[in-house]
Amino acid sequence: MNILKDVLSELFSMFVADARLTMAILLIVVITAFMIRSTNLSPLIGGLFLLLGCIAVLFFSVSREATRRLHDSRH
Amino acid sequence: MLEWSSAGPAVGAAFLASIVEVVEAFTIVLVVATLRGWKPAVLGTGAAVFVLAAIVVILGPLLDQVPMHLLQVVIGVLLLLFGIGWLRKASLRAGGVIPLHDEDAVFARETIELRTQVKRHRSSQDWIAGIAAFKAVLLEGLEVIFIVIAVGSGREVLWAASLGALAACVLVLVVGAIAHRPLARVPENTLKFGIGVMLSAFGVFWTGEGLGVDWPGHDLALFVFAAVFLVAGLMAARMVRQPIKKAAS
Repeated sequence: MNILKDVLSELFSMFVADARLTMAILLIVVITAFMIRSTNLSPLIGGLFLLLGCIAVLFFSVSREATRRLHDSRH
Repeated sequence: MLEWSSAGPAVGAAFLASIVEVVEAFTIVLVVATLRGWKPAVLGTGAAVFVLAAIVVILGPLLDQVPMHLLQVVIGVLLLLFGIGWLRKASLRAGGVIPLHDEDAVFARETIELRTQVKRHRSSQDWIAGIAAFKAVLLEGLEVIFIVIAVGSGREVLWAASLGALAACVLVLVVGAIAHRPLARVPENTLKFGIGVMLSAFGVFWTGEGLGVDWPGHDLALFVFAAVFLVAGLMAARMVRQPIKKAAS
């Protein structure tokens, strides 16, 4: 049972290493899907939003983690 | 006929990602072999390979039942979560925020941990060691299977991606057998950066395509996305390196 628990927790952490990062990426995908399926915008604009949104999420996530660790190391 | 613009990135991503995963599994198997001999290491590894093969045989055919667009979206989103997670960690490592992955340090840490566990369970030492090898190979193997499916199934180049992963396994095992020590010289941190870039690029590509985006240049768009993620990852690492330098001085 321990092995199964370890495997499941490893699988979970593969995709949810950081809860905020996961939520942000899912939100970007949902907004992209809405833009493509429910508006008259070209699907390519939705695609570009997806790409740029993921880049922005990466920057915010890296910056936030660095700030948090810097703050922790000072206290 | 295999299109190399489709299969090339899939084979490359599967090969590089598998090298990283197999090197990590190899380190643990080597710890087991060093402490308790090759018997529990080989038995644990063999059992894990058997379970992984069973998973592929049972779940593999189910992939054909899933509509292609749904498969692309599901795999694309999972790739985004997995790939951007890796790229984030790689950028933090490159920026000096978190320590670099060191296979020698992992070997030393795992040796101490396994030695402690073995001492605690004197009656079943080989069993404990075999389980450690089994778990390591199973966990890293599951990641390899996911990556192969993720980069290969969207364009039906699963076999090519599998061959890329298999080549990585053979390469690591041959080099590992010759070196007989943790493969610390494998540039794991650089590889992980590259894999994060490639998986993120695949993630955007499949998610977009599954949602109905017709990417200009089709498969060649993957290379553009990879270049964009590479620049973004390097810039993110540079961005966090500056405050750390200031704080240190």
